[in-house]
Parts: sequence; C-alpha cells; structure tokens
Amino acid sequence: MVEKQSRWANVYLVVMFLILYSPIFYLIFCSFNAGQYMQNFSGFSLVHYGELFSDNRMLQIVLNTFVIALLSSLLATIIGTFGALGIFSVRKSFIKNILLSLNNILLVSPDVIIGASFLIFFTLLGLSLGFGSVLMSHIAFSIPIVVLMVLPKLNEMNSSLIDAAQDLGANSWQVLTRVILPYLTPGIAAGFFMAFTYSLDDFAVTFFVTGNGFSTLAVEIYSRARQGVSLEINALSAIMFIISLLLVAGYFFINQHNSARKNKKGRGRG
Amino acid sequence: MTQTIIEFKNVTKSYQETQVLTGVDLTIEAGKFYTLLGPSGSGKTTILRLIAGFSNATSGDIIFDGKRINDVPANKRRVNTVFQNYALFPNMNVFENVAFGMTLKGVNKVQIKEKVTSMLEMVQLAGYADRSIDELSGGQQQRVAIARALANDPEVLLLDEPLSALDYKLRKDMQYELRELQQRLGITFIFVTHDQEEALAMSDWIFVMNEGKILQNGSPVDIYDEPINHFVANFIGESNIIDGVMREDYKVMFAGKEFENVDAGMRPNERVEVVLRPEDLDLTTPENGKLIVTIDAQSFRGDYYEISAHDDDNNEWRIQATNPSVLNSRQGLTFDPEDIHIMRFDESEDDYDARLDNYEE
Repeated sequence: MVEKQSRWANVYLVVMFLILYSPIFYLIFCSFNAGQYMQNFSGFSLVHYGELFSDNRMLQIVLNTFVIALLSSLLATIIGTFGALGIFSVRKSFIKNILLSLNNILLVSPDVIIGASFLIFFTLLGLSLGFGSVLMSHIAFSIPIVVLMVLPKLNEMNSSLIDAAQDLGANSWQVLTRVILPYLTPGIAAGFFMAFTYSLDDFAVTFFVTGNGFSTLAVEIYSRARQGVSLEINALSAIMFIISLLLVAGYFFINQHNSARKNKKGRGRG
Repeated sequence: MTQTIIEFKNVTKSYQETQVLTGVDLTIEAGKFYTLLGPSGSGKTTILRLIAGFSNATSGDIIFDGKRINDVPANKRRVNTVFQNYALFPNMNVFENVAFGMTLKGVNKVQIKEKVTSMLEMVQLAGYADRSIDELSGGQQQRVAIARALANDPEVLLLDEPLSALDYKLRKDMQYELRELQQRLGITFIFVTHDQEEALAMSDWIFVMNEGKILQNGSPVDIYDEPINHFVANFIGESNIIDGVMREDYKVMFAGKEFENVDAGMRPNERVEVVLRPEDLDLTTPENGKLIVTIDAQSFRGDYYEISAHDDDNNEWRIQATNPSVLNSRQGLTFDPEDIHIMRFDESEDDYDARLDNYEE
C-alpha cells in the first residue's frame, strides 16, 4: 500500500516537473533551429547565437540588467540590513508592528501600482528617467525583501550574545561588526540573492520608470515580442538558463561539501 | 582586613509598573565567593545585571571600588560575566572566543596566544583551541565561557546560573571546580542560583532573596542553622515548621508540650514559629520520646530513609533516619535543646542580630 502510494507520488512529481520545464526546454531546443521561426525545425544551427553576439544593443541591455541588479541588490542589502536592525531595536511593540506592516505592504502591493507611483514621483521631482530612476526604484522594492530575510535571523539571535560582547569590552560598533553582522550573514546573503533575482526579472516597475535610451532585458524582450519573437531571444534565454543552472549546482555542491565536512568533524569527536 | 569592592545603597529597579528590586543594600568584599540565592523572579539576576551594567538602577547607588558606577557602560566595567546559556559567539572558534576581550583591547598576538593557552589549560580544555563551538558538549561550552570571562582579568566574576543546564553529576564536579578556581585565583565570584544545595556547597557568603528583597545574608552554616523566617527555613533545606509559644527565656511550648531550648530575648508568651531540621530528629521507643508520633510513610533515599509522621496534635513531621521504620507504628521522637530554632514573626535581620548579641553576653 505504502509502496503503491509512493509510486503514484513519483509519477505526480515527474509529470509536474515535465509541465514546468517543457516550455523552457522547447524554447532552448528552438534556439538551435536553422529557420527563422519556432515552427518547423529545419535543422541544427548556431546562427541565432551568432546573431545574438553581434547584436550590440542586446548585449548592452544584458549588461545594463546585470549592473542594475547587482548595484540595486547590494545597496538594498545594506539599507535593508540596517532597517531590520532598526526595527529590531524598537522597544514598543505597537510601533514595531506599524513599521513591520509598512514594510510588508510594500511587498504585497502590486508592481504596477509601485511602478506607476514611482513614475509620478520622479516626474514630480523633475528627474529624467533612465539608469538612475530604474536603479532607485529597484533599490526601493528590494529593501522590504532584505528586511524580511534578515529580521527572523535577528529575532532568533540570543540577546545575551550582545550582552556578552559588551561585557568583554566591545563598544556599539564592535558589537555590530564582530558579533551581530557575522551572525546575520546567512540572512543577509539570502536577502541579497532574493533582491538580485527580483531585480533581474522585474518587468512592471521597470517598464514605468525606464526612459527612452535605457532598457532592461525584461522590457526589451517584451517590446521585441510584440513584433514576433526572434529566435535570438531563445538563444539568450538558453544561455541564461544554463548560467542559472550552473549557479544552483554550484550552490548545491558548496552546501554538500560544508555539511560533509561538519559531519566528519562530528564523528571525530564522538 | 578585607576590602569592600562592591556596594549597593538602597538600590531599586522597576520595569514600568513592576518593581523587581525594592531597596537593596549589600556589601561585597574582595576575594570571596558570594551566592545570590532565591526562587525565579526574586531579583537575583537583576542584581547581577546591575553589577555588569546591562541594565540601569531606577534609584540608589552602585559603588565599585569606592566609585559610583551607575552611569559607567558595561564595556568599561572591570567585571565579566558567565551567562546561563553560555552566550559563546557561534561564528568564532574556541580560541577566538577566549581571545575576544583581548583582541578588542589590542593586546599583541603573542600575548593573546599565551593567555588563551593558559586559560584553556586552566579549564582543562588544552588542545581544543581550534574546535568550533557547536562541536562542544554543554560542559565544555561552560568551561569555554568561564575561560573567556577570566581571560580579561576581571576583579569580579559574575556567574548567572551557569550550571543549571548541566546534568547532575557534571554539575557536582563543576561545583568543586568553580570553588577551587575561585580560591586559587582569589577573584571575587558572585554566583546566582536557585539551587540551595549548590549555594551551601560553594559559598563563603549567601544572600537569600525573595520578591526583590534580601531576606537574610550570612555564611552557609548560619543560614542553614538559623533561618530568620518561614521562607528562608523552607527554601534552604527541608524543615519542620510548627507554631509555638515562647513561655519564657529558654522555654518553648509546641505540639502541646513544653521544651527546653537555647533561644531567649522574646516577650513572655510570644507566638513564634519553631524550626526542627529532619536530620536532627531521631526515632526511639515511645517511653524515651519527647513526642509520640505515628509513622505515615517512608521512602528510601539511598543514604537515608525519609519518613513522614504525625503527632497527636496532627502536626506533620519529616524525619531522616538511617534505619527503616514500621508503617502505622507509634514511635518516640527525640531531639536536643540546641536543635530547636525559634523564628519570631516579622523580625528583621538587624533585630535578630541585636537580640542575639544581647542574650549571648
């Protein structure tokens, strides 16, 4: 009975993953098509990859996207971490809850509304739209994510660690840099990667705040798709998929390696 | 001549509405092992946190080495703390934990290495310097915490229930080790615990606390033999506490009979409480007994039998006897006049001391 159940569970799993991944694999498959369209696979060719690498505008946009993602997630991580520390240090639970709710509202409110409000805000201030406006809005919507990743780590930290550091002679800055921040590192890293991926694939907010000369991948692909997707996009998607696959695999092996080392040490003690 | 190192003058502490310390006065002398003993919520950890500088007194003066230190931050005080949950830094290994205080002070590397090595040797963890914290057992973490605190050469070491998370056997061993360490180093230790056995075994001086007040302070023997009130008598060891009347000096009446005792200085016919420790009571034949009791229950405790009985006035008696007794049998109960300890109602510690001085002259 149990075996039968688990077999059905496996079948379910396989079907689900097929459904989730088949569009991506189909897209990658088509990127090798010698023809111009996704229909009728007329033969293997790398022509679209060549097209991609000679498309300077597209390469520039890929670069823009990564620069925006890296910069915005980095800055959002710094601001968000200090924000989490600030919220954590508020004593009155009423004020703390208000701050937390304000943070969470930004997370759940639709991107379209955030994007539109940024557009109104920037035009009101008379700022020109472009790299700066995109960067600022990406930082803004990434901060709540970082706060949300760092705060639980702070809450689970034993407050006597801070007492202990002070007790041993640490001033506030030393407590922060030598005890609190090292303790929070996993949460901060998680917040950074979340913010990075959010920024990388954001469409709605970016769509509102990009000006004429500046574009990111999501917006560019959208505007090209309106004239029929060129297989160059498929080639780009294939490359990005492979890169993220390598990243995930790398992360997995690093984790595996660390836990294996820990286990080995644990046995040595026993 | 011993020298006073810490003094509390009428110190109070409140959190919003609740007052956790109500006018505490205490004096700590250098080089002794002190224990703050009390049930949870009695304010003993609050006193420790005030000394360490983790919280501020609402009123009163805290004096360290002759100077008021109420406004001195924790990182500038010459005391170090061993925390209940050890509070070792998880991102550092054993060496880095112990070296933490010295690294902050900018001590040079060679000296740090020397000091850490000798500290780890002292707590019997030589060779553990490179271990990470989560590889250590509870007892080992405890030792690292002690080494980390002592590596800063504090004048006073504060210990906040450091043994409560250890198992019984290890706790016993650590009691001896801590006591030995304190005597070897000559540093003042202030130890917080709710375990009366621990307090009696380790301390030079005990402060018994309840509800934000120090009820009694004295050497372990004093506190055990001459508890000042019902709470202290009950909290420190087991006691039989019976209502009685002090007929006149050296004569007390309880359980319907009059007994000779060694207390004096009270009003004639004053109502008092009488304390008799279970280990001071002996069972004998009914003819030889000062009281006659009926045995209700007994349980074997390894080195003695714990017997509970009642007398003809229905007072409960707890007796520790080396030999078993017979259930429901009538037995005689004997004790010596010195075994009877009298507690007056609402007598403060000062009044008690004054009375003792009076009649002992």
